Amino acid sequence: MSRKFSLADAVIVILALIWLIPLVFTLLMSIRPENEPITNGNIFFGSMLTLNNYAQTWMVAPWPKHYINSLIFVFGTLAVQVVTITMSGYAFARMKFAGRNLLLFLILLQLMIPTGVLIVQNFATIRRLGLFDTHVALMIPYWGSAFGTLLMRQAFREVPFELEEAARIDGANWLQVMRSVYIPLSIPTYVAFALVSISSHWNEFLWPFIVTRSDDVRPLTVGLSKLLKTTEVGALYGQLMAGTILVIAPLVILFMLFQRRFIESFASSGLK
Amino acid sequence: MDAPAQVAATQVTTLPQIRPRRSLLALLFPYFLVAPTLILIFVFTIWPTTQTVVGSLYKPPLTVRQQEQFVGLQNYVDLFDSTRTTRPDISAVFTKILINTLIFTVSTVLVSVPLAFVFALLLNRRLRYLGIWRFSLFYPALLPLIGAASIWSFIYADNIGLANTVLRSFGLSTVQWLNIQSMSLLSVIIVIIWKQTGYYMIFYLAGLQSIPRDIYEAADLDGANIWQQTRFITLPLLRRTTLFIMVVAFTAGFQMVEQLEALGLGGPNDSSNLLLYYVFQKFSDPRNWGYVNAITVILLLILMLFTVTNFYFFEWRRIKDES
Repeated sequence: MSRKFSLADAVIVILALIWLIPLVFTLLMSIRPENEPITNGNIFFGSMLTLNNYAQTWMVAPWPKHYINSLIFVFGTLAVQVVTITMSGYAFARMKFAGRNLLLFLILLQLMIPTGVLIVQNFATIRRLGLFDTHVALMIPYWGSAFGTLLMRQAFREVPFELEEAARIDGANWLQVMRSVYIPLSIPTYVAFALVSISSHWNEFLWPFIVTRSDDVRPLTVGLSKLLKTTEVGALYGQLMAGTILVIAPLVILFMLFQRRFIESFASSGLK
Repeated sequence: MDAPAQVAATQVTTLPQIRPRRSLLALLFPYFLVAPTLILIFVFTIWPTTQTVVGSLYKPPLTVRQQEQFVGLQNYVDLFDSTRTTRPDISAVFTKILINTLIFTVSTVLVSVPLAFVFALLLNRRLRYLGIWRFSLFYPALLPLIGAASIWSFIYADNIGLANTVLRSFGLSTVQWLNIQSMSLLSVIIVIIWKQTGYYMIFYLAGLQSIPRDIYEAADLDGANIWQQTRFITLPLLRRTTLFIMVVAFTAGFQMVEQLEALGLGGPNDSSNLLLYYVFQKFSDPRNWGYVNAITVILLLILMLFTVTNFYFFEWRRIKDES
């Protein structure tokens, strides 16, 4: 079906270009020589392309450490979450027990009280538990997830109960039932949850900043904030943009590769 | 014949002994499954909430020997009444920061949600290179707030920044985006609109795709033009989606403060400061804890207007219906 270029096409192209400008110039700045700020008439490329800014940035902060810490934070959070939400999701999907609705309501309080604003008291708790400046301190508030519990509850309810019965008749215990029936049939839900969890924790700044002090624990976002502080002094924007690229590249590239998956996952993260 | 009979007999005799144990375990099993989630949520959501409320009713000790002192709602009164407070520095700026937070959240939501609807309408058509346009509009949502802000700190930079360079090239006068009080909050609002619109767009895209095509075909036959179709079919059918996105957007808006770390630290003179960021700035000094807790309670109450609405309309009803 052939169609002509319409006004709506033009509008979307213009909007998309405007939205892209910050990313494009971040990239451009990061490969321009540091002593050549953009000026009128010389807005895109400098006299040469250089990776010098990346080299400089690489010296300023311990990036490999920050990468490892971000990976530990993100996957450590996810690994425990997957276990806890599978357990609670199954209980609320398939079991009857006294106080079920009350317990579900208590868990769902997390949807009504955003944990992110409780930084003061949660910081005190982390101190009291002796977890300050550890990897666990970053992850532990997210290990219990009301959102994940609801998501898995929904997924498990859609699994035909006859499949569980058949497995039980064959003598399967709970773990085996989960492994052979519920988990394999709920993989899309796990993937959606994982993408949302990974991207939100990869991007998190305030909480990691509060509960850590040393570079041995601090994730990329906190490393970037340190770079910001040093940049303010000398306005080394080339280095700052190179550092920003280092922080945002993994997720942006993942998104380029798996656009549909990401968008579907985020759309389901609203939990309608 | 003998052997099976024996097996059956032993089963009969052993069953009553095993059964009470197994059923006790079976009885406790669901609680075991729920326990990790419940305990974690209690420790990091429910308990700190109660502690925040309690803490907001006390004045912290000023010296090591002093006890903390119960003051009722005095901390709240102090926050709003700067004439009689013991901490004029905090109450002088609290109202300003509260108003900033309301302006920031309401304006980002009221611009980015309608814009997201437009984005979704434009993308929800036969379109060449759809992936590129969708990527361009959505990618800011995937950036860390601090990363997005770091990018814009370059755009907003006074002399060598992109925005001012462009203004200069058109012969216009430059703007101090982050360093004058009348601009700083607006500059931050622009960043958040840029970042969030694509995120809200995907909910509209999902909503649009759930509307059956034949409704529009019928409208076409009746001679309804594209504006009429949008106004009288699409918008009404997406009313729930819109309500949902508004609630999500308001909830997110009141918590979005990390960008300030890269965009002027809430300044100048707290002109772009926001409640949660102010809490973050003040809480390391224990003498502020009474106020900091009170501010957190106020923020929680505002947020719960939206989260409780959301929960009641979208979650709990459905859960009730199912079980």
